[in-house]
Amino acid sequence: MIEVKDLKKYYQGDSVVTKALNGVSFFIKEGEFVAIMGPSGSGKSTLMHIMCFLDRPTSGTYKFRGKSIDELSEDELARIRNKEMGFVFQTFNLLSRTTALDNIKLPLVYTGLSAKLENEMAQSAIEAVGLSHRTFHFPNQLAGGEQQRVAIARAIVNQPSVIFADEPTGNLDSKSGQQIMDILQKLNAEGHTIILVTHERYTAEMAQRIIQLKDGKIISDEVVDHRRFAKDGLIK
Amino acid sequence: MKLSDSLKIAFTGLETNKTRSFLAMLGIVIGISAVIVMLSIGQGVQNVVLSQIETMGHNVAFVIPGGTKQEKGLPQFSLGMMEVKTLKTADAEALKKGFYIKEVTPIVFGPAVLNYKNETRRSDFTGTVSNLQNLKGYKMLEGNFFTEDEEKSMQKVVVIGKTVKEKMFKNQKVIRERLKINRQPFRIIGVMEVEKMGGSHFIDVNDKVFIPLSVAQKQMLGTDYFTAILLQSTSAETLDLAVAEAEEILRQRHGIKDSSQDDFTIMSQEYIASTFNLIGGILTIFLAVVAGISLVVGGIGIMNIMLVSVTERTREIGLRKAVGARKKDILNQFLLEAVTLTILGGMIGIIFGFIGSYLGGIILGKILDITWGFTISFSAIILAFSVATAIGLIFGIYPAHKAAELSPIEALRYE
Repeated sequence: MIEVKDLKKYYQGDSVVTKALNGVSFFIKEGEFVAIMGPSGSGKSTLMHIMCFLDRPTSGTYKFRGKSIDELSEDELARIRNKEMGFVFQTFNLLSRTTALDNIKLPLVYTGLSAKLENEMAQSAIEAVGLSHRTFHFPNQLAGGEQQRVAIARAIVNQPSVIFADEPTGNLDSKSGQQIMDILQKLNAEGHTIILVTHERYTAEMAQRIIQLKDGKIISDEVVDHRRFAKDGLIK
Repeated sequence: MKLSDSLKIAFTGLETNKTRSFLAMLGIVIGISAVIVMLSIGQGVQNVVLSQIETMGHNVAFVIPGGTKQEKGLPQFSLGMMEVKTLKTADAEALKKGFYIKEVTPIVFGPAVLNYKNETRRSDFTGTVSNLQNLKGYKMLEGNFFTEDEEKSMQKVVVIGKTVKEKMFKNQKVIRERLKINRQPFRIIGVMEVEKMGGSHFIDVNDKVFIPLSVAQKQMLGTDYFTAILLQSTSAETLDLAVAEAEEILRQRHGIKDSSQDDFTIMSQEYIASTFNLIGGILTIFLAVVAGISLVVGGIGIMNIMLVSVTERTREIGLRKAVGARKKDILNQFLLEAVTLTILGGMIGIIFGFIGSYLGGIILGKILDITWGFTISFSAIILAFSVATAIGLIFGIYPAHKAAELSPIEALRYE
């Protein structure tokens, strides 16, 4: 489903060229749970942006379901992001003046469905993250973990095939983080492909496979032998 | 993206900063209400003037000395025309022979200082002939107007205007009283009320005295020409014929071959009305332009606030783009927000414009002592509405475009 081949991304600074990605290649199959791990500056965010069709590589190819960014128009890219991809951010990125329900509906606004269908989809998404009792709360009335669960509900509301999670537990205490990882593992079990960006090995080990980046290159790409499961509780 | 969603987003955006939205809107409110008030007042002035000109009568025309040398548009009047000395007694006599001309009333004007006992008053005199009293709008309140004989024989008699009587004599008897005009003694024989006519709102037409033409010319002014000659045609239908006839007679008398060389101007009610219409139209446009400038200023305020809003909501824009908003969606969202602001401002402006026009009409009516017809044209409201929308679009497009072009990655990273 995801095909990355010799991907390079260079940023032209004032005098130096920063090589954020310097020849990265891998495949991700449908239904996989992959963690992209690396210290800050390793290029994992850049890779993530390219995979989300938010950025273009300098060279190399990235194909999502066989299509690269150059073959698609801006509107088609927006549609793929809307229908096929879900996003979870480290800082939640919820709209503060909007209720949990309306935050969850945000992607649906750009899908163009009937109001009835929108409500049904938003309701099932909020149930999936166990926040039915918080439907009409505003983000500032929710705890950090709850906010991130709203963000996950927003990511899955359109039933995307792949969910990109960029440091989803980075701003949370370990217990809330545990809950978030549990939800992501459940979603994976239900068939969603999950791509998790993290710098913590402990979190990364909840995935099936870890791709480790350093200085814009893959230094390891291996299956996790002893996968952790968030529902088993804290082992930190 | 559905319109209902877009509207919801726009209103949420505006609600978030109520004070700011209100202040930004205020510029539009003021601009739109100014446009409406100005259009209404311009229209009102025009209506009042025209209705006043109506009172002049449909069979009356003025002959004034001096040519205007203009076929269309505004005649070029000048103060110097008052000094042109070409209209003389013989002209008036010749005009009387016109077939369609019923009455000829020559007029001269001059300044007058009135003395009655210890009372002094600055005023004006009108020197004229007996038939002035037959004109529409002239009414004797007391006594009589002077007769043809009295005029011819240079009797020092005077008919005073209503205001002169009120101010100088209060409730005293005035008939046969002696009034000094420019130190010359006159006998008061009547009191007259003159209905106001077009263009005379700031002059009290009743604050003057009427004296025989012969006395005015020979003893007061020492001249032999007229300020104007009033013509009455045999009927309203023959006014045009009478005017043509008068032109013919005067050209012949003054040895003029071509109408462009005319040393006189004849103004019928229609002529005056069309002139005032033009002046009124120009006034209205001028007022609207001035008000329009305040709208542009209001529009700049909207643009400013929208730019601030785009910057503040950079992260939101990034998020929306990430979850599938197209450039078009973002552009529409911010445009709609700007247009919502200006339309809302426009609607409030229309309401204030209504109130302002109404109050303005009452105040102007009081000051000018006239009945003011409160007019707000439907077209002014449509205009205000479209202008408000257009301003939202024009001044909203730049901020909206800026928002739509934001890079989602940069926007999401924005702190």
